Amino acid sequence: MGSISLNGIKKSFGETEVLKDINLDIKDGEFLILIGPSGCGKSTLMNLIAGLEELTGGEIVIDGNDVSEESPKDRDIAMVFQSYALYPTMNVARNICFGLEMGKMPKNEQEVILKKVSSLLQIDHLLDRKPGQLSGGQRQRVAMGRALARSPKVFLFDEPLSNLDAKLRVEMRTEIKKLHKRIGTTIVYVTHDQIEAMTLADRIAVLKDGELQQVGTPYEIYNDPVSHFVADFMGSPGMNFIECVVKDQNLVVESGGEKYELSIPCTDALNNSNLDVVWLGIRPEMMTEIQPSVAANSFIHQIKFDVEVLEPMGADTVAIGQWNGDEVMARLSPESGNTAGKGFDLQVDTSKAILFDPNTGLRMR
Amino acid sequence: MNSFKLTNINIGRTLIYLILLFFAFIYLAPLYVMFTTSLKDIEEIRSGNLMALPMDPSLYAWKKAWSSACTGSECEGLAPFFWNSVRIVFPAVIISTILGAFNGYALAKWKFKGSEFIFGALLFGCFIPFQVILLPMAKLLGSLGLANTVTGLVLVHVIYGVAFTTLFFRNYYVGIPTELVKAAKLDGAGFFAIFRHVFIPLSTPIFVVTIIWQFTQIWNDFLFGVVYSGSGTQPITVALNNLVNTSVGGKEYNVDMAAAVIAAFPTLVVYVIAGKYFVRGLTAGAVKG
Repeated sequence: MGSISLNGIKKSFGETEVLKDINLDIKDGEFLILIGPSGCGKSTLMNLIAGLEELTGGEIVIDGNDVSEESPKDRDIAMVFQSYALYPTMNVARNICFGLEMGKMPKNEQEVILKKVSSLLQIDHLLDRKPGQLSGGQRQRVAMGRALARSPKVFLFDEPLSNLDAKLRVEMRTEIKKLHKRIGTTIVYVTHDQIEAMTLADRIAVLKDGELQQVGTPYEIYNDPVSHFVADFMGSPGMNFIECVVKDQNLVVESGGEKYELSIPCTDALNNSNLDVVWLGIRPEMMTEIQPSVAANSFIHQIKFDVEVLEPMGADTVAIGQWNGDEVMARLSPESGNTAGKGFDLQVDTSKAILFDPNTGLRMR
Repeated sequence: MNSFKLTNINIGRTLIYLILLFFAFIYLAPLYVMFTTSLKDIEEIRSGNLMALPMDPSLYAWKKAWSSACTGSECEGLAPFFWNSVRIVFPAVIISTILGAFNGYALAKWKFKGSEFIFGALLFGCFIPFQVILLPMAKLLGSLGLANTVTGLVLVHVIYGVAFTTLFFRNYYVGIPTELVKAAKLDGAGFFAIFRHVFIPLSTPIFVVTIIWQFTQIWNDFLFGVVYSGSGTQPITVALNNLVNTSVGGKEYNVDMAAAVIAAFPTLVVYVIAGKYFVRGLTAGAVKG
């Protein structure tokens, strides 16, 4: 019903290559998130899928049909824009039905769909209003309603939540997820917000400089990133990277006059390379205050840590400090009672630590 | 201390109002003189004060200016020429505004190869002085068989006006988010459907601006009118000039003044009616959608 294959997609604007050979298969009914920093080409890729931009190379296949040359209206795709792009002079009802009206659907059939969509999104009471009279969240719903009305093969969402305030964003996020569960249509969703990506996606595709870095489930992207970039981009706060010297099968870190030898699980990666210096990647939640309850094993280490700043987040507190000359973030319990400007002992669990090649930024396996 | 401040403000306010009144007086005085003079008889004009109100107001001068004053050899007043102007202005304004809206829409939202160049070239058209195109245009009208006709004058005003109307609409439409076009394309609307359903309803303010501008320009035009019209197709500005320059016996200032007010009347009306919409800014806050 709505599978998409992107085969060797290329796009240039004049001399600048925005997308370089993108290959990606999106399954029917999948919720795929395109994520990347601004300027990575994610919105361009979305416009290409919609047919709003012309391909420089490659082909787009929807449900087995090559649609690369087809105009947007023949692709059976609906899109929700960041600015919602509601028609300002039409009321909500006509905004939702405009696509149907253009498709020459009879009025009474339009009414039926309008009823269905507006009750699904709980906007029945707004149908006579103009977009200018709606709040941000209501406009968001109307924009989704307009997309839903045509019951297309594929929905495209272009950063749909970034104009909403923080609380509403979380609400609408949940609602989009529920909506997807309910209608089961393929969704391609562009965002630069990694929390949105983690919470919504069936699969995440990470883009950087017009190239796909990694495609995988949120779990894979978070726990098994292929590169320093992906590891750094996903997660809040981001992963810590600590420069270490390789000694036998262990990593040596010197900090504050102390010398630590860290043992790690991924020794194969060390054996497979002959690097003297590597980056140790370790998530903030694996660096905590000393937890006596955790049974001692070879991956549990204790280090001295100088805290510069504490950022209470409510559920936990992020401590930011220096270790081995690198900025390191640790996730502490809010009850740990530490204060900024002091050193204290930190427990580092390397059981999930991963290694990166400092020269290429790639994961060492 | 409070009262000190208050008087200070009052003095400032008074000063501002005095200055404003002074300038308003300077601007309105000619209109006042024209109007009062047109209601006086010729004896009173010769003997009386320029600023004085008419002692015995009469519409004699207005009637004469409208229907029997001499404009050269004919003595039919301004009426036929007024209707000439109407027949020139309405089609010229409507056609040039519609063309400008289309051009502006295409140039702002449907960029194509060379669209920037075309816009630049059109913009250049705004800076070409009337005099430069007089001869080539005369030749063109001649070869089209439109010399000395109302149609010919309409054509000249449309061509000359399109540069301005395009500029107005293009700059207005550039401010309308392109995402609206994208959304409408995905909804299955084409070039004309998007223009009709999305852009035209948003365009009231710029239509008003353009119509005021074009109406005033074309109604007040003298040069094209005097060059390209024949004896039966002269616009009112040319007739006014002829009327003032034709004197049978003594100079009838009251008739001249009435004729001038008649000639200026339609542009005044347009400002009074449409100016309100112009200021109100009909879509304030709506474009953000």
